[in-house]
Amino acid sequence: MSRVWKSPVVARDTAPAARQQVLPFAELAAPAKPLLLTPRPVQRLWFCIYLPQLPLEACRSSAEALVIVEEQHGIHRVLLADAAARAAGVMAGLSANAALALLPTLKLEERNPVREQQVLERLASWLERFSSFVSIADRNLLLLEIAGSLNLFGGLQSLRQTIVRDLGMLGFSAAVAIAPTPLAATWLARSGRRICIRATENLGPALRQLPLTCLHWPSGQRELLTGMGITAIGDCLRLPREGFARRFGAERLLDLDRALGHLPDPRDSWRAPERFCADYEMTEEQSDRELLLNICRELLLSHEQFLLARQLGTQSLCFSFFHLKSTATELRLGAALADRSASRWFELLKIRFEALRLPEPVIAVRLRSGLSQPLLAETARLSFSHKAEKQKHRYSIAQLAERLVARIGDHSVHALTMVAEHRPEYAWCARNPLSDWTASTLTMLTDTRRPLWMLPEPALLPADSGYPLHRGCRLTLLDGPERLETGWWDEGNVSRDYYTALSGAGMRLWVFRNRQRTPDWYLHGIFG
Amino acid sequence: MSLEKLLENPRIWRGSSRPGAQSGLASGYPKLDRCLPGGGWPLGALTEILIGQHGIGELRLLMPALAQLSAEETPAYTGEYTEPGWIAWVAPPFQPYAPALQQHGIDLSRMLIVRPKDDSELLWSAEQALSSGTCAAVLLWPDKLDDQASRRLQLAAEKGHSWAIAFRPLAARQQASAAALRLELQFTGQGTCVHVLKSRGGRPTVLNDLL
Repeated sequence: MSRVWKSPVVARDTAPAARQQVLPFAELAAPAKPLLLTPRPVQRLWFCIYLPQLPLEACRSSAEALVIVEEQHGIHRVLLADAAARAAGVMAGLSANAALALLPTLKLEERNPVREQQVLERLASWLERFSSFVSIADRNLLLLEIAGSLNLFGGLQSLRQTIVRDLGMLGFSAAVAIAPTPLAATWLARSGRRICIRATENLGPALRQLPLTCLHWPSGQRELLTGMGITAIGDCLRLPREGFARRFGAERLLDLDRALGHLPDPRDSWRAPERFCADYEMTEEQSDRELLLNICRELLLSHEQFLLARQLGTQSLCFSFFHLKSTATELRLGAALADRSASRWFELLKIRFEALRLPEPVIAVRLRSGLSQPLLAETARLSFSHKAEKQKHRYSIAQLAERLVARIGDHSVHALTMVAEHRPEYAWCARNPLSDWTASTLTMLTDTRRPLWMLPEPALLPADSGYPLHRGCRLTLLDGPERLETGWWDEGNVSRDYYTALSGAGMRLWVFRNRQRTPDWYLHGIFG
Repeated sequence: MSLEKLLENPRIWRGSSRPGAQSGLASGYPKLDRCLPGGGWPLGALTEILIGQHGIGELRLLMPALAQLSAEETPAYTGEYTEPGWIAWVAPPFQPYAPALQQHGIDLSRMLIVRPKDDSELLWSAEQALSSGTCAAVLLWPDKLDDQASRRLQLAAEKGHSWAIAFRPLAARQQASAAALRLELQFTGQGTCVHVLKSRGGRPTVLNDLL
C-alpha cells in the first residue's frame, strides 16, 4: 500500500530539480524586470528669497528715521538705515554718535537676532502655501522648492510675481532668484540679479560671471582670492582642482560642485512647530467654577483630538482665564511624560483649580499647549484576567509625583541620589522625581555607619568641661573618633572628629568636634 | 455539645485566629515576629508607632523590612508581578540621609520625599501615595491624627496594598485608632523596649531590649 502511494511523490519531487538543471545559469540569475517604468530624475527648481534688510524690517517701529546698530569692536556702528535716515546722510558703517550728530531725531535700535529668527520662521510658515518644501538656509535666506508648484500657480513668471508682490505687501524687500540647485539660487539672489535659470546646462555660464562677494565664504578667503586676481566664480573654476582644494579647503571645492549640480545638495525642510491653541468665549461673565471646569474639559477634549490626529503628545499646558478688567489669570500644568489624554490632564487641572483664585468673573478661556512631541501609544494588554483589570487602576509613580507636585508645589517633592563626596552634608542630593529617573548607582565610600536622620545644619552643642551636653545631659561617647579632613579645594574646608553618642533619653546621636578654630561640639545627625 | 462543635459556630469570633489573616512581612527581629499575627508586619494596613522623641530606634526597627520591600520584585502579599515598590516619606522631621539608607540595603532610586505645608496636605499626600498602588510603604509624621483620619489611611492602605506607618507622640496612646498594629517605643536605660499596644488578631505584649 505504502509503496503505491510513495512512488508518485518521489516522481513529483524530482521533476522540478530536473527542470532547474536544464535552465541556463544566466537566465536564473537575471534580476526580475521591473513592472513600473524607472522614474525620470526629477528636475528640481529652487526659489531663493534673500532679505538683506531683515534686521530693519524685523523691527516693527513707527519711528520716522530708524537705524539698526550693532556693536563692532566695542563701538556701536550703523548696520542698516531706513530711507529717511539715508536721505539725511546716515549710512552703514557710521558710528552711532556720528549718525546722531547728523540727525538728532534718529531712533537707534540694537540688532536683535532672536527677533530676526522669529520673523524668518513666520515667513517660512507663510511660504508653505507656495511649496511643500521650505528651508531656512541662512539667517536672511529662505529656499523654496517650486518644481512641483508651477502648474498650480500658473507657471514660473506668475509664481514669482505672486511671491514678490505678497512679500512686498508684508513689508519685506527681497531679492529673488531661481536656479536648479539651491546653492546657485542662493548666490544669484545675493548678487541681486533678477535671474531665472531652469536648465542645469545654463547654470555654468550664469554662475561664472558672479563676483566672489555674493558667496558665503569667509571674508579672509575671499580677500586672499581677490589678492590673487580672482574676482569671479569663473576664475575659481579655471584653477586646478587639487591646488584649489589644498589652499582653500575641500569644502570650498564641494561648494562649487554643489552649485553647479555635479553633487547632490540635500536641504532640511522647515516644519512649523505644531501647537494647540483654542479659545472659548462666553456670552456673559461667569464665576461658576463648576461651569469653568466643564469648559476646560471641553477644551481638553478638542486638544486630545488635535494631538490624536497627529500622533503627538505634550508635556505642558497653559490655561488663560480672561477677565474684563484685570489681566488674565494663567494656570500652567506640567506632566512627567508626554501625554494627550484629556482625562489625565483634567485630573491634574482639578487639583490645581481648587487653589486657583480668580480676581473677577471670567469672560473667555484659552488653552495653549506646549511644544508637542511624537507619542507612541501603548497597546492595551490582551488579557481578560481579573488581575489585569486590577492593574489598570494602578497608576505609575510619574502620575503620583505629578499629582503631588500639582497640589503641594514643585520643591516639596523630591527623590534622593548619592554624590561621591566625603563631607557628609554633600554626600547626597535631591533629584527631581519628574524629569530624572535614573539615580546614580554610586555606593557608599565608607564602611562606618551613617545616621538615618541628617540635620539641615550642624547644631552647636553646649559643653561641660570638654564633654558635649544634649538637653542638659552629658552624652556618652560610644564609638569614634572618625576623622574627616577634606574639602580644602573649595571654600568648605572641614576638619572634624565624628563620634556616635548616646543621650540620656536614649537617642543615638552623631556628633563631631570641630578641629579647626574652636574645639566646639556639634550635633550632625540622629541614628533613628 | 462538644467544644469543637461549639467553636464551629460562625457567630463565635476568636481573636487569635482571624480567618483569612495574611502572612506578614518579616521584621528582621525574630522576637517581634513571634508576637505579631502572621509572623511579621501587617501589610496593606496602618501601623502606628508611638515615640517620646525622634531617634530612639524607630527607624532601625523598620529598616530590615523596608530594605526587603524596596528590593523585591514580587511583593509577598499579592504574588503577582508588579514593579518594585517605592517608599514615600511624608513630612519627615529631618532629612532622610541617603548614604545611611543605602548602608541599610535600601534601593535609593525608589525613595520619594514629600514635604507638605500643613496637616491637611500631609494626609492628602499620604492617602494619594497609599492608594496609588505604586508605593510599597508610606511613612508619615503627622502633627495630629484623629480617629477619622486614621480610618481613611487604613482604607487607603488596604486599597493600594500598601503599608502605612504613622509616627505619633506618646500622648496619642489614649486616642482610638483604626490602625491594625500599634507599637510604643520606650527607652529604659539599657535599651529600647517595644510595647505592642494593639495588634489585630494578636495580643498586647511587652518586648524588652529589642533594639
